[in-house]
Amino acid sequence: MISKKILIIDDEPDVVAYLSAVLEANGYKSYATGNIKTAMEQVKEIHPDLICLDIVMPEETGISFYTRLRQDRELKTIPVIIISGIVELEKFDFRTYTKDDSIPAPECYMEKPIDVEKYIKKVKQLAG
Amino acid sequence: MFQQIPYNVAVIDRDYNIVEANSNFKDYFGSWQNRKCYTVYKKLNEPCENCPTKEVFKKGNPVVADAVGIDQHGRKTHYVAHVLPIKIKKGGKVEYAMEMTRTVTETDRWQQEYQILFDRVPCYITVIGEDYRIVRANEAFRENFGDVLGQHCYKVYKRRNTKCPNCPAEKTFKDGKVHQSSQQGIAKNGQKIHYAVSTSALMRGSDSVAHVIEISNDVTAMKRLEEKVIDAERLGAVGQTVAGLAHSIKNILMGLEGGKYIVSLGLNKNDKGMINQGWEMLERNFDKTTSLVKDFLSFSKGRLPELEMVNPGDLVLEIVDLYKDIAAQSGIELKSVTEKNVKSAPLDPAGIHTCLTNLVSNAIDACLMSKQKGTEVLITVSESRDKLIFEVKDNGSGIDYEIKKKIFTTFFTTKGGGGTGLGLLTTRKIVQEHGGKILVISQKGKGAKFRMEFPRKRLMALYKEAKV
Repeated sequence: MISKKILIIDDEPDVVAYLSAVLEANGYKSYATGNIKTAMEQVKEIHPDLICLDIVMPEETGISFYTRLRQDRELKTIPVIIISGIVELEKFDFRTYTKDDSIPAPECYMEKPIDVEKYIKKVKQLAG
Repeated sequence: MFQQIPYNVAVIDRDYNIVEANSNFKDYFGSWQNRKCYTVYKKLNEPCENCPTKEVFKKGNPVVADAVGIDQHGRKTHYVAHVLPIKIKKGGKVEYAMEMTRTVTETDRWQQEYQILFDRVPCYITVIGEDYRIVRANEAFRENFGDVLGQHCYKVYKRRNTKCPNCPAEKTFKDGKVHQSSQQGIAKNGQKIHYAVSTSALMRGSDSVAHVIEISNDVTAMKRLEEKVIDAERLGAVGQTVAGLAHSIKNILMGLEGGKYIVSLGLNKNDKGMINQGWEMLERNFDKTTSLVKDFLSFSKGRLPELEMVNPGDLVLEIVDLYKDIAAQSGIELKSVTEKNVKSAPLDPAGIHTCLTNLVSNAIDACLMSKQKGTEVLITVSESRDKLIFEVKDNGSGIDYEIKKKIFTTFFTTKGGGGTGLGLLTTRKIVQEHGGKILVISQKGKGAKFRMEFPRKRLMALYKEAKV
């Protein structure tokens, strides 16, 4: 069976190492980038089954990247889990950060530090 | 002539019969023919007690008396009666009394109105003599400052033993003009009272001031509200700081959890490389905790700004000196403009230095990130609508919409490992401690402008408070 591909976009190497270890240990193939500028090219190349995305990153925010992803005809169906250290993420309202009303909210938000079991359950649900 | 006298005049005989009266009298008290004076004046059936006319008949001297009667419409009326004796024969007995009455009802009402106004108007009114002793005080004043007649105003208002400096009453005594000022006093319950006072002269003749009336508006509630607003802003900043701290801690926790996970995975697989990787993660994140705590402690050093009168332009020149070499090495032009009308202001020089340092170093970073050539950073100082304004403007990379929204609210950094995300938060904290606010105007790719606004009134209030 071919492993599902998950792309991690986060500028913190420790977060990337952690999420990769969790995903690999659960039988997923993980890819990662800390450079949001080239992340879109990687998405097009890999065509991941799921993207784990940070919000606060240098140069461009995860929200802005997410908006661009959802505007791309070929890539807009790739599910996204937002993983962020933003306080009270459950109150985080994606709508207030984007001017484009046609963009649907991300599939899932998860607060750092993650609960590994819940995380894997969500990954399974979204990536299949 | 009798008819022309501008009083109500009646002539009364010894039996209290009105024998003659003028038209004013008739208009006021009604018909009098064949009637007794007490019936006409007071609608009574027998002579009044303490009758002034009886006194005149008895002693033969004129009498002046106050009386209350009833006019022809049945209204109670206050009047003053001047009663004169009339003798027909020289040396003979008094045969008639001429009673001239002047109603004082109007004057009375005015006096009452004035009294109510004086006592009930929602401000403090005192009348002060040349020796600064309080001659009169209204109810509102007495309620808050106690019964203080005869005491020195400075003692009562401020519990001082000498005249206050810049006393507005003193100025009014000197020039007879109205003077105004803002003052702070102490009420009888010991509470601070803020009031805006206006002093007016009560003239003696045309050229000297006999008394001064002080009318003060209590603005304590307004002051408190203003202080509450400033406090709320300060607390808001603290709350956001705590939220920012939590954000940083969560990131570190994520690293620690990750390290722990990878170490245990390595142990299970007996993979030394993995154990090492996890261990390094643990070490790195413990170190991060230490530096975060250090940063946070220096940030949270809660202190009131140490205000002193400084020239805002000089503070800016210091920053230009500090950064011009660094900027020049990167091909960035650093300039400053201080507008001519900028006056000195009470500021915490070290605090403002920190703010400008943060804003200028951010602006230089933004220029470095920009691909554009000929970037520059401009610092300006100006005055507008009683506010002192510092602006730091760059034509660097600009800030995009989402970042702008959280720029002050979290430990937010776009500089990767290069920044702690505390710079702008610290800047805002210092600005708010000065009673000011900070605004950002920016569009991605079009540079940014940070503006610090300090209302002069608030600066002066903080300055006065610090001096007390």
